[in-house]
Amino acid sequence: MSDANTHSGLAGSIGAALSNLPTPAELSSANRALLLLAPLLVFELLIFVVPFFILLRISFTESADDTVYEAGTWSLEAYGEVFTSGLLRDIILYSFQLGVIVTVLSVVIGLFYAYAIWRSSGIVKSLLLLSVVMPLLTTLVIRTYAFTPLLSPTGTLNDVLLSLGFLSEPVQFVPATIGAVVGQLYIVLPYAVLAIYSVMATMDWGLVEAARDLGASRPRSFFEVVLPQVMPGISVAAVISFAWSVGAYAAPDLLSNGITFAVHAEDLMLSDMRYSLAAALSVVMLLAMLIGVALISAVLSRFGGDFDLA
Amino acid sequence: MTSTLHRETLETIAFRAGYLALFAFLLLPLIVVVATPFAASGRLAFPPESYSLAWYAEFFNDVRWLTAFENSIIVGVGTAILATVLGVLAAFGQELDEGSRIGSIVGPLVLIPLLIPPVILGITLLMYFSEIGIRGSYVTLVLAHTLWATPLVYFVMRSVFSRFDWQQLDAASDLGAGPVQSFVHVVLPNVKHGVFVGGLLAFIISLQEFVMALFLSTASTETIPVLAWTEIRQALDPMVSVVSTFLILFSLVALALAVVATNLEWVSKQLS
Repeated sequence: MSDANTHSGLAGSIGAALSNLPTPAELSSANRALLLLAPLLVFELLIFVVPFFILLRISFTESADDTVYEAGTWSLEAYGEVFTSGLLRDIILYSFQLGVIVTVLSVVIGLFYAYAIWRSSGIVKSLLLLSVVMPLLTTLVIRTYAFTPLLSPTGTLNDVLLSLGFLSEPVQFVPATIGAVVGQLYIVLPYAVLAIYSVMATMDWGLVEAARDLGASRPRSFFEVVLPQVMPGISVAAVISFAWSVGAYAAPDLLSNGITFAVHAEDLMLSDMRYSLAAALSVVMLLAMLIGVALISAVLSRFGGDFDLA
Repeated sequence: MTSTLHRETLETIAFRAGYLALFAFLLLPLIVVVATPFAASGRLAFPPESYSLAWYAEFFNDVRWLTAFENSIIVGVGTAILATVLGVLAAFGQELDEGSRIGSIVGPLVLIPLLIPPVILGITLLMYFSEIGIRGSYVTLVLAHTLWATPLVYFVMRSVFSRFDWQQLDAASDLGAGPVQSFVHVVLPNVKHGVFVGGLLAFIISLQEFVMALFLSTASTETIPVLAWTEIRQALDPMVSVVSTFLILFSLVALALAVVATNLEWVSKQLS
């Protein structure tokens, strides 16, 4: 998504050239463009915008015993519960802790791996890219599930560490928070790598070489030449990792005993049928995440990482 | 001088070890999934102790898995068609009128659903579809998956259209072709690879999507990831690995097709 504006220059000039042509077909091009954009805009309106207003409306209803919520009522009851319940406070805090830890790991490791892909060539580059794309094409369920035989006390990692003598007794990686962190990292890392790599791929290696010729060490040339230029990619990677990890569902549910907001919300919706509370919790989480994203972009933009959606 | 060289050698070794470890981290879980169902014991272990194809045969006798497979295909094809139509038309429309204000909101608008946690999207859409009374049909799954697949098609097509020679379109209209005629006969043949890759990515997105499907599917419309989830929450079932292997193979074939039509680096960029 971050490379979208790299070609808008070309497209823009073509668009400008097109609109300067005085042919009859061009006179109506604005209308035709609107006609072509209309199906997508109507779809987004009906399947995305309107549903969020329904969610907002339901969050302000009273809960009911016999139905999912009391239609037609106005009440702050659900929000009251979100802000006063100790259980919900713990759940929200745990979700954000998980989100922050995974985001930091994902950005740092993603930056490293993107750099390795950028610096490699030929078959190595293809293999490294394949290792990023393959998990992306695999369902979340499987990506999470695979860590059970790997991380369990009788699993592969414990076997290896025990036989190498690094451990004297098996460690319980799953179910535990470390399992959820590893599982969630595995889910978001490919996106982070690609977001950073797509910016790196447009960079000029000659600049790094110049810095080294002028005496900069390799780490210094990385931090002072490469890093500032890939900040936009880092911003995208951070925002994606953060949003998805705060809302993590499968990894914490399967690989840890911790309850995240998403795990709890699923219970509220599908088992307890408490729509008002689930809606209010979703609205609060969305707003909290929006603040989180704003903070991330504020911090990163000080280092040149302006977050730009398009 | 020698100490600098020594340090650089160490840095190189550390760098290589680092990315090789990550390479293993990214691929090992997939290898585990593919390898486990070959274990004859039925116990989920990696590396397996002995090998058998029994679990693979089992899949084709299991009605639940076959039904889920059928559901996944129906929803995937529906999503691919809807997302491709919406994405191609919108990307084309935006090329026609680059500077328009309404056009400039399309890019960010289609991306926002990707930044909302899928659980919140699932909750929101479940409430909405219950409200308007279309709960429990394939339509709900197709619409939800299209929300995620359309941005991919849209950005693939934007980058394809930006390389298209627009003078061909002018030539067509100078020769008297109407807008629809010139789109079908001049534009589409030139961008068909992009349309194919876009549709394929949309299909894969739908095939793999899990959280929204968990909220929106019912017993009769549950897709492969949803059934797999229910199964692994009950017990570690080698059948899940079998099905996963099929899904991974499916994606590999699709990826190979996309790479043949374009190239891997380009496809990777479209995914980000």
